[in-house]
Amino acid sequence: MYHTRIKTLLTASAVMCSVSAHSAPMGFSESFMAMGDFNNNWRELNMNYATTPRDAFGLGATYMRADDNMKSRTLEEFTYTRLIQRWNLPHAQANLWFQGGIGALQGLDKTLAENHRFDKVMVTPGVQFDYETTRLYFQAAHRLYRATDINHDFTSLRAGFSFYESEYDKTQPWFILEARNMNGLSEKIEVTPMLRLINKNYFVEAGVNNSREPRLNFMYIF
Amino acid sequence: MKKLLLTTVVLSTLMSNIAFATQTIKANVNGMVCAFCAQGIEKKMRALSQTQDVYVNLKQRVVAVELKEGQALSNDQVKSIIKDAGYDVTSIEVTDHTVSHIKAELEAKQESK
Repeated sequence: MYHTRIKTLLTASAVMCSVSAHSAPMGFSESFMAMGDFNNNWRELNMNYATTPRDAFGLGATYMRADDNMKSRTLEEFTYTRLIQRWNLPHAQANLWFQGGIGALQGLDKTLAENHRFDKVMVTPGVQFDYETTRLYFQAAHRLYRATDINHDFTSLRAGFSFYESEYDKTQPWFILEARNMNGLSEKIEVTPMLRLINKNYFVEAGVNNSREPRLNFMYIF
Repeated sequence: MKKLLLTTVVLSTLMSNIAFATQTIKANVNGMVCAFCAQGIEKKMRALSQTQDVYVNLKQRVVAVELKEGQALSNDQVKSIIKDAGYDVTSIEVTDHTVSHIKAELEAKQESK
């Protein structure tokens, strides 16, 4: 009951979805961006190319599994990212993003039968809203992970602050707290406090979640 | 003939002075809060053949592009590059200060706050 309420709250609060648990999900025009998000139950690697300042096309691979290891999924997809709206304020920026994908899902479900395997087509549309100043960060994301008889919708909320402002060419440390859930794979709300380091050349986050499992995220533009 | 010669000499002197003067385009930019996201501005500016140096200041919301001697770049080109990188230019000016000078000036301003 408690988890159901939290999940409902997360879903309602997150104006949407898409994207991994990151900041901007694409780089500047004519740039490649590589993104990774790794822990025990969720491993994701994406790369996209920004064809315009607002559009990026890419490829992604995701491995997800249930807490008890009874279910696992592997997804390879083509992705599209669109900056729907950006608000540039004097000391802040806010963004609304769409990210969607379509790809091949391979599943293993031991709750149905021993080594029950299946292949399906999965679609993954979602949206993300983020707001950021040089000291504060907030993000809400919700992404659908749907195939026939499969619903692994993903919801996340993140908020954080930087320890201090820094120059453009210096590394800035942040504290980020994230809560996320993947429907149909885990009843838990995964909560992860993370240290984020932002530099003009890289973006990394590392933390340990409430199941005492390590987590690592990165982004790189080239 | 003398007039033509004199005019040529005066014009070439003027042109040569213009060519060797430092020119920096300084823009105030809205939305520039994250170094990782703003790297596109610096990379695009540095890729231009006219660019000598680039300076980005997140706190003061400033982007400064120093041009090579004798090179020209319009304010509209700079605005367009910054807009394509995802930001909005609120004001823009051309100054004869170098990027190093602007950097020192802005950092001194920050320290005095």
